[in-house]
Amino acid sequence: MLGSTADSLFWMFRYIERAENTLCLIESGFQLHLISSKNLKNEWDAILKTSSIRQFFTKNNSQLDSLKIINFMFKDQINSNNIYELISKARENARRSRVAMTLEVWESVNTCWLFLKEQLKKNVTENRVQSLIKDTREKIALIYGYLNKTMLKDEILNFCYLGTYIERFNNTARILNTRQYLLIEERLYGLEYYNNFQLEMILRSISSYRSFMWKNQNTINSKKVSNFLISDKDMPRSLMFSIQETIQCIKLILNKNIYKNACYKTAQNIHRKIQSRKMFSNNYLFLNDLIDLNMKLATEIEEEFNFH
Amino acid sequence: MVYKIKNVDEAFISDNSVRTNYKKYYNWFNNQNFSNLTKKNSEAFKFFKDTGITFKVYSDNNDDEYLIPFDIVPRIINRREWEKIVKGITQRVIAINLFLNDIYSNQEIINSGIIPISLLKNNSAFFPEMMGLTPPNKIYNHISGIDLIKTEKNDFYVLEDNVRVPSGVSYMIENRDTMMKLFPDLFSKYAVTDNRDYPNKLSKILKNCSPLNRKKEPNIAVLTPGVHNSAFFEHAFLADQLGAELVEGKDLRVLDKFLKMKTIRGWEKIDILYRRVDDEYLDPLTFKEDSFLGVPGLMEVYRNKNITIANAPGTGIADDKAIYSYIPEIINFYLGEKAILKNVKTFKCNDQNELKYVLDNIHALVVKEVHGSGGYGMLIGPLSSKSEILEFKNKILKNPNNYIAQPTLSLSTCPIFTKKGLSPRHVDLRPFALLSNKGVSVTNGGLTRVALKKDSLVVNSSQGGGTKDTWVLGA
Repeated sequence: MLGSTADSLFWMFRYIERAENTLCLIESGFQLHLISSKNLKNEWDAILKTSSIRQFFTKNNSQLDSLKIINFMFKDQINSNNIYELISKARENARRSRVAMTLEVWESVNTCWLFLKEQLKKNVTENRVQSLIKDTREKIALIYGYLNKTMLKDEILNFCYLGTYIERFNNTARILNTRQYLLIEERLYGLEYYNNFQLEMILRSISSYRSFMWKNQNTINSKKVSNFLISDKDMPRSLMFSIQETIQCIKLILNKNIYKNACYKTAQNIHRKIQSRKMFSNNYLFLNDLIDLNMKLATEIEEEFNFH
Repeated sequence: MVYKIKNVDEAFISDNSVRTNYKKYYNWFNNQNFSNLTKKNSEAFKFFKDTGITFKVYSDNNDDEYLIPFDIVPRIINRREWEKIVKGITQRVIAINLFLNDIYSNQEIINSGIIPISLLKNNSAFFPEMMGLTPPNKIYNHISGIDLIKTEKNDFYVLEDNVRVPSGVSYMIENRDTMMKLFPDLFSKYAVTDNRDYPNKLSKILKNCSPLNRKKEPNIAVLTPGVHNSAFFEHAFLADQLGAELVEGKDLRVLDKFLKMKTIRGWEKIDILYRRVDDEYLDPLTFKEDSFLGVPGLMEVYRNKNITIANAPGTGIADDKAIYSYIPEIINFYLGEKAILKNVKTFKCNDQNELKYVLDNIHALVVKEVHGSGGYGMLIGPLSSKSEILEFKNKILKNPNNYIAQPTLSLSTCPIFTKKGLSPRHVDLRPFALLSNKGVSVTNGGLTRVALKKDSLVVNSSQGGGTKDTWVLGA
């Protein structure tokens, strides 16, 4: 496979994953908006920070207005990470690597893009937010469905997954990092400082509230939430799960001389750090370190597989 | 009355009786619910949109992609008529290859005074660099797209021989796929010959010209100018169908006398390059210095016989519009045969007498640039204003070598589906021919392009043309 094709596949799935994560964030914010929570502003603030778009939004908007933020995240051109732009970039990369994917995968990306292009001609209104999130999510799920059902289980597929998991790791780490005070202060006060509702919002922002409650018999506290997001081996959005999958992809692509390989070493290093994490360690430093290492890993992947 | 027939219509005779090949279709059509057909029409549109079968128009500043409009009424050609076309194209394609082999070696056709040397000397499509180089299996034009038109005498004429990088074959295949999805019942009524085996045949003829030992499986790559090229969809489609890598100049490098592509595991050799990049961009060391589309040193690899390039560099000279007018002589010279398919009468502006004729009769002629394509840089006399004609006359006088002229032909029409029912539109046809040392294979049918504007003669997709599925009926 061409290095440039691997590059396109990797980024195609980073963008798709990023778009999906953005949808989750919008959804969690919108839920708060509906119940007029007093935490609404803080929550939107955290969401904008997580997506690194806060400064762009506040430049032209003094108020954290829910619908303005939602439209900003869906379609505003000032925000280069808006959902339409992300899916456009994913499609552009799919076009470049068209030869590497099945017709079904290509068509599902293309129709997702066409759908958003049509839907986002007008501003998203309050009444449309939920259906738009649901429909877009279904379109994205279709891409993954076809990816898993129609593609050969070879290195091409592994580059798609690599993009997905590197991006997901980054996203979950950022969500945790924006809210790391939730996890530190518990230690300082020795009690549940934050209410269950805020913890629930964190879980909702990665669409994992139900699975968390199911796994923890409906008991929610900071410790359990941070464990769930950081080190749970079965939770598809946890840091642990993402790095495990990344390691698996690297192994499959490399096939031989794995242990001396820079990407593999970095990925293992991340894995080790998560495994040996001590409860109540400095989460801020810990997460920043992981985010940096994950970025380093992405660069090493680009170099190792001749993306450029 | 179905509709008014101006010249020759392929479905109806002037008294509005239906031609034999369209009889079944017309009966079927009349039994269809009109709103259902309208629905099918929009389904076709959606199908092309979802599949992303798009093209880009160069002159546009924005980055938008366009769909080539598709018409749901098939063009139907009977067996007997088609057999003549196949024979004619086969003859032409073989003669063109012999011509190319000759002009890049002994130049017997020039020495015999049949073609003036000036035609090569002053021609940027002729590559002196290719002199004395023999391509593998002596094949230059592996892939040709021969543009045909039908005129009032109900006879097919050749309008152009496209042997540089003819495009459109992906649309031919996708059009068939679409029709089969939309109207399966029609296919069970008609014995339509299949045209979708083209990629397999292309793969075979390319491998046939491999520079490697027969037993070794060659590495094939399709070279595209990139994702912004108007025909990118087709490049990706063909690479996919061939099981080949789709490469751009930036993926390639000449290393150790071979052309190599950058893969995730390092540099890998390419044995056969199906290039969709024009000659002059192939190698900046030999041709255009500022080209990023090609690979520096590629021609050296070619000279060392370490790669097959399809079509071979230098092939473009044969689809030059000035050379076109000599094709009947070329066929006669190399094959000793009379051309089966006629040429359209062509006036060469580099000839004083013919130039005078062109200038005197320009209002009735179509004037074309010798190297132009895509319907650009041409003047359609009868449809042009006085000032446009005057402007074009000045252009011709400044550089007469650069122009040829042809009479405006009354192209045949075919019915298309409109809101008001069937309506006639002008069409042309581009069958594709594959040449190897084992012979010529012509696609069953080809790409029918249709001028969707009423009475328009311009079928180019870049200027409002659409396409149709073309059916060649089986025995």
